[in-house]
Amino acid sequence: MADEIDFTTGDAGASSTYPMQCSALRKNGFVVLKGRPCKIVEMSTSKTGKHGHAKVHLVRIDIFTGKKYEDICPSTHNMDVPNIKRNDYQLICIQDGYLSLLTETGEVREDLKLPEGELGKEIEGKYNAGEDVQVSVMCAMSEEYAVAIKPCK
Amino acid sequence: MMAATLGPPEVIAQLENAAKVLMAPPSMVNSEQRQHAEHIFLSFRKSKSPFAVCKHILETSKVDYVLFQAATAIMEAVVREWILLEKGSIESLRTFLLTYVLQRPNLQKYVREQILLAVAVIVKRGSLDKSIDCKSIFHEVSQLISSGSPTVQTLACSILTALLSEFSSSSKTSNIGLSMEFHGNCKRVFQEEDLRQIFMLTVEVLQEFSRRENLSAQMSSVFQRYLALANQVLSWNFLPPNQLGRHYIAMFESSQNVLLKPTESWRETLLDSRVMELFFTVHRKIREDSDMAQDSLQCLAQLASLHGPVFPDEGAQVDYLAHFIEGLLSTINGIEIEDSEAVGISSIISNLITVFPRNVLTAIPSELFSSFVNCLTHLTCSFGRSAALEEVLDKDDMVYMEAYDKLLESWLTLVQDDKHFHKGFFTQHAVQVFNSYIQCHLAAPDGTRNLTANGVASREEEEISELQEDDRDQFSDQLASVGMLGRVAAEHCIPLLTSLLEERVTRLHSQLQRHQQQLLASPGSRTIDNKMLDDLYEDIHWLILVTGYLLADDTQGETPLIPPEIMEYSIKHSSEVDINTTLQILGSPGEKASSIPGYNRTDSVIRLLSAVLRVSEVESRAIRADLTHLLSPQMGKDIVWFLKRWAKTYLLVDEKLYDQISLPFSTAFGADTEGSQWIIGYLLQKVISNLSVWSSEQDLANDTVQLLVTLVERRERANLVIQCENWWNLAKQFASRSPPLNFLSSPVQRTLMKALVLGGFAQMDTETKQQYWTEVLQPLQQRFLRVINQENFQQLCQQEEVKQEITATLEALCGIAEATQIDNVAILFNFLMDFLTNCIGLMEVYKNTPETVNLIIEVFVEVAHKQICYLGESKAMNLYEACLTLLQVYSKNNLGRQRVDVTAEEEQYQDLLLIMELLTNLLSKEFIDFSDTDEVFRGHEPGQAASRSVSAADVVLYGVNLILPLMSQDLLKFPTLCNQYYKLITFICEIFPEKIPQLPEDLFKSLMCSLELGMTSMSSEVCQLCLEALTPLAEQCAKAQETDSPLFLATRHFLKLVFDMLVLQKHNTEMTTAAGEAFYTLVCLHQAEYSELVETLLSSQQDPIIYQRLADAFNKLTASSTPPTLDRKQKMAFLKSLEEFMANVGGLLCVK
Repeated sequence: MADEIDFTTGDAGASSTYPMQCSALRKNGFVVLKGRPCKIVEMSTSKTGKHGHAKVHLVRIDIFTGKKYEDICPSTHNMDVPNIKRNDYQLICIQDGYLSLLTETGEVREDLKLPEGELGKEIEGKYNAGEDVQVSVMCAMSEEYAVAIKPCK
Repeated sequence: MMAATLGPPEVIAQLENAAKVLMAPPSMVNSEQRQHAEHIFLSFRKSKSPFAVCKHILETSKVDYVLFQAATAIMEAVVREWILLEKGSIESLRTFLLTYVLQRPNLQKYVREQILLAVAVIVKRGSLDKSIDCKSIFHEVSQLISSGSPTVQTLACSILTALLSEFSSSSKTSNIGLSMEFHGNCKRVFQEEDLRQIFMLTVEVLQEFSRRENLSAQMSSVFQRYLALANQVLSWNFLPPNQLGRHYIAMFESSQNVLLKPTESWRETLLDSRVMELFFTVHRKIREDSDMAQDSLQCLAQLASLHGPVFPDEGAQVDYLAHFIEGLLSTINGIEIEDSEAVGISSIISNLITVFPRNVLTAIPSELFSSFVNCLTHLTCSFGRSAALEEVLDKDDMVYMEAYDKLLESWLTLVQDDKHFHKGFFTQHAVQVFNSYIQCHLAAPDGTRNLTANGVASREEEEISELQEDDRDQFSDQLASVGMLGRVAAEHCIPLLTSLLEERVTRLHSQLQRHQQQLLASPGSRTIDNKMLDDLYEDIHWLILVTGYLLADDTQGETPLIPPEIMEYSIKHSSEVDINTTLQILGSPGEKASSIPGYNRTDSVIRLLSAVLRVSEVESRAIRADLTHLLSPQMGKDIVWFLKRWAKTYLLVDEKLYDQISLPFSTAFGADTEGSQWIIGYLLQKVISNLSVWSSEQDLANDTVQLLVTLVERRERANLVIQCENWWNLAKQFASRSPPLNFLSSPVQRTLMKALVLGGFAQMDTETKQQYWTEVLQPLQQRFLRVINQENFQQLCQQEEVKQEITATLEALCGIAEATQIDNVAILFNFLMDFLTNCIGLMEVYKNTPETVNLIIEVFVEVAHKQICYLGESKAMNLYEACLTLLQVYSKNNLGRQRVDVTAEEEQYQDLLLIMELLTNLLSKEFIDFSDTDEVFRGHEPGQAASRSVSAADVVLYGVNLILPLMSQDLLKFPTLCNQYYKLITFICEIFPEKIPQLPEDLFKSLMCSLELGMTSMSSEVCQLCLEALTPLAEQCAKAQETDSPLFLATRHFLKLVFDMLVLQKHNTEMTTAAGEAFYTLVCLHQAEYSELVETLLSSQQDPIIYQRLADAFNKLTASSTPPTLDRKQKMAFLKSLEEFMANVGGLLCVK
C-alpha cells in the first residue's frame, strides 16, 4: 500500500467491508460471517496438541437481529470486517412505526423503523412527552437501524 | 418458658412432632410448618434452666434429633447460666452426660458427638474458674481405655478428640460467648499439661496395638482413630507462652502447614527416642492401609519438623535428627513404595531439609548423611518416573507429581546453600536427578516420554485452550530446581544438553526436508503423519526450557548475572578451548556443529547456545522453504523465550560485575566484539522474520517483541542494534502501516512501537538521530495531521480506513508513552502533547464510537501514568489543562446518555474505569515526583513564567464531580471498578482535604456514604483505603475549627465506626495502623464524644474485674496524650499505647 491514502473521495466507491487477518480481530469489534454484520462478544484461541497452530473461536451477535452465533477458524484466515457508520439525527416525529429524522444537512429521512423492544418504547415515550431527542443510527452493509437515544443539546 | 408452662411429657411430644416435620421430605411439609418447627427448637434451647427436662428427654425420647437438640440445649444453658449454677450440679451434669454415653453404645454418632461436645465445653468453661480440671476426666478415660473393649475405647477416643478440638483454636471452638483472650488462655494452659496427657494416653494405646499380631477389623478401626488423634496432637499449633492480642491469635491460627514447635515442657516426651520409633513401627505395620498410612506418615512428617525450645542444645538436635534419619532409612529402604506413601514420605524429607539447619545436617555421622542423600536421589528419580506415568494416564490425582515437586524443591534448598558441604559433594546426585528428568521428558529411544508402564506409547491430540499455562510457567519450580542441579553438575549436563539438541536439530532438518520432497512430488497432499515431527518438537521444547533455566535466571528489575557455576565451568576449561573455532561454531548456525574442524575444542557453554541457534536456523529455513504450516509455534516461542533470557544475561556482559570473566565469553559476547555485533544482527533478523510469519500466533509474536525490547532497553545493546540496516527497515515498515506488521495484535504493535522509540535513544550522531526520528515518529504525525485536517473530515471520519488510521495512531501513542524513561521524557512529552490537543478534538468527532473514545482516554492514561512523575510545574500544567478539556468534552457528550447494549458487563464501563485511572495517575504526582524543577526539560523550555491556570485539584475534582454520580452501588460490585474508585477517593481526601468541604452538598453526602460503605461492607483492601482517607479529613476539620460543618458531623459518626471496629470487632491486623491513625485524629477532634463512647462501653460491663481492667486500659491508652492534640510525637505515643491496649484487652471484648 502506498504511503499516500486518498481520503478525499466520499462515500462513492467505499466498499462495505474490508479484510483483516482473523487473529487481528478484537473482542467488541465487528466481523462479517455468512453475510451478516456481527459484533464479536467473545473471542478466544486454542490449538490442537501442544505444537498445533492457533485457531480462533468467535462468539458473535448479529448487530441488527441480535442473534448469537459461534464459529471456529484458523487464525491465519482473512475475514471481512464491516464498515460501520454511526450518525445522530434529530427526531421530528413518529408515524406508522417509522421515524422521521432530520439530518445534519437539513434533509428529512423517513425510511427508518421505530425499533422494537425497550429502546422503541423509550423513543416513543420521550417523543410523546415532547422531549427533544437525538437518535443514533448505525449503518453496516447497507442496513440501518436506530440503536440509541440521547437528549438534544 | 415452654418448660415452665408444659410438663415434660408434653414438651417431648411437641419436640418430637417438630422433629418429624423437620425430617420430612420437602413435598410433605410447607415452609411455614418448617419454620414453625425450627422456632420450637430455637425457643426450647433458649429456655431457662432446661436441665431437668433435658435429662428427662435424654432418658426417654427415642428420636435422635430430639436427643441432639437436648444435648445442645444443655451445652448452651450451662454456659449461659454458669455463674448461677452450683459447682456440684455442674459436676453431676457432666458425670451424667458421660455416663449416659457410656451406657448407650448404640447411640447415633452425631448425638454422641454432640453430647461429648457439651462435656468438652463444660470442661473448658470450668477451666476458667478452675472449678473443673481435666485430671478426673483423664482418669476416667484411661480406665475406659484399659477396658479392652473396642466400643469403649472408641468412646474414650471420642472424648479426647472432643476436648482437643474444643481447645485447639478459635475457629474450631464452639461459640460460647467468651472473649478471644479467654480462648487463647485456655489453649495455652491446655497445651502445657493436658495436651501432653492426651498424647501420652494415645502413645500408650498405639504401643499396645503395635505389639499385637492380628488385629480384627474392629480393633484396627480403633487403632486408626487413635492414630488420627496422635496426628491431631502433633499438628497442634502451639501458642507462644507470652500474652498475645486477639489479632495475633487469629494470625497464628490461620497459618497452614503447621510445623511442630512445642514448648519446653514437651522436651522429655518428644525427645524420648521410643516415641519416634513407635511411629516408624506403626507405619511399617499399617502402610498397606492407605487411609491409616496417611495419618502415620503425617505424624512422622510432624516429628520431622520438630524445632524450637524443645531442644536444649545443638547436640540434642543432632542426635534427634540422626536417630530420625536412621528410622526413616530403615523404614523405606528395600521396600516398594505404595502410591499412597509418596506424598507423605516426601513431606517428611522436605520438612527435615527445611527445618534442620545445615550445620546440624552435616554434624550427623557422614555415612548416615550419605545414605540419606542417596535415598533422596533414588526417591527423586523414581517419583519423577512415576509422575511421568501419571501424566500419560492423565490421572486426576497426581500424587507422584506432588511428591516429585516437593523433593525437587528440597534439592534446591539443599544445594543452594552448599558452603557447608565439600565441593562436588552433590555432583553425582545432581547428575542422576538431572538425567532422569531429561529421560522422562524425551521420547523413545533416548527417553520414556508418553510410555506407559509396559512400554506402550500413548499419544493423544487434545484441544489446548489459551488459558492453559505454558510449560515454562506451569513447571517453573521444577525447571528451576533441575536447572540448578544442572549447574551443580555442569561438567556433565551442559555437554549432554548440547549433544541431545544437536542430534535433534539434524533429525528435524532431515525430517522437514523429507516432507518438502513429498510436497514437491505430490503438491496439495497435506496429509502427512506428523507424529515424528511432533515428537521432535516436544523433545526440543523440553531441552530448550531446561537449557534456559540452566544457563540464566529470570530476574525482575535487576540485572541478571551469569550463574557463578557456569562462569567457573567456562573459565576452568578456557585453556583447552580454541577461541576461533568457538566463534566459528557460534557464527555458522546453518552448518552441522560436527562438520566444523576441531569442533571438540570449543567452549561448551557457547556451543550449547549455538545448538539453540541451530534450532532457530532450521526453523528459519523451513519458513523460507514455505513449510511454515509444518512448524511448531510452541517451538518458535521456546526459541525466542530462550534467546531473550540468554541475551539479558550474557549479551554485552558488564565485566565490572564479575570478579573474573571467562575469555570465551568476553571474546564472543563482550563489548566491541564482532561476535556481539553478529549475534545482535542475527537476533534482529529472527525478530523481523517472526513478526511477519507468526502474526497469527499471538503468544509467539508477543515473546518476539519482548526479545526486541530486551535488545534495545539497555543503551549498550541498542547502540549495536541501530547499526543494523534491518532495524531501520523495520522502523520504516512499521511506520508505513502495511502488511504484515499491521496484522499484529494491538498489544504487540504497542510493544513494537515502544521498542522502536527506545532504540531511538541509542548513541548516534545528530544527523543520524534526526533521520531516525524522521523515519519513526514523523510519519505518524504527518499521516495523522493529514487525516484530521481534511476539510470534510467530519463526513469521512466514520469511513473504515480513516477510523483504522486513527486507531493505529492512538495505539502507537500508547506505545510511545510506554517507552518513557527519565532521559527521554523531555522529547517524548513534547511530541505527545501535540497529539493530545488533537485527540480532544477527536473525542468530539467520535463521540458515538465508544471504542475510539476509550482508546483516546487510554492515551491520556498512559501519558499521565508514565510521564507525570518527571514533569516540572509548567509541563505538568499543560497536561492538567489537556486532561481537563478532555473531561469537559467527555462530560458534555455523556450526560444523560443511555446505552443500549446486549452485553452489560464490566467492559461497558471501561470509560469510567479509564477516567478514574487517569485521575489517580494525575494525583500520583503528589507523592511520586522525580522532576527537578524541569531539570530534564532544560533547554527545551522557553523560559515562560508559569501562570498557574489549572491545578491538579481542579482537574481531579472536576473528574470526581463527573464520576461520583455515575458510581452506583451496582457498579461497585465490579471489583476493578470498586478498587479503582476507592483508590481515587482516598487519594483525593489525602491530597486535597481542603476541597472536600467545598463540594456541593449531594456530592459531599455521596462521598461520605461511599467511605462508610467501604469501611463496613467491602474488602479489607478497600476498608484500609477508607481508613487512610479519614485521617486527613479529620485534620482538615481541626484546622478549619468549624463545629457545625457537615464534615465535622460526618467525622463524629466515623469516630464511632472506627471505635467499634478497633474495640469490638474481629479485624485484620494489617489494618491496625491505618485504623489507629484515623482513630487518634478523630479522638482529638471529638474528645467529648470519645469519652462518652468509653463510658457507655464500661457501663455495660457486669464483671467488676473486667470493668477494672478495661477502665485501666482506656486510661493508659490516652495517658501519654492528654489532652490529645494533633502532634506527631503524641500521635506516635498513642499508636504505641494502642498496640498495648489491643494486646491487653483487645481479646476481652471480641466475643465468640
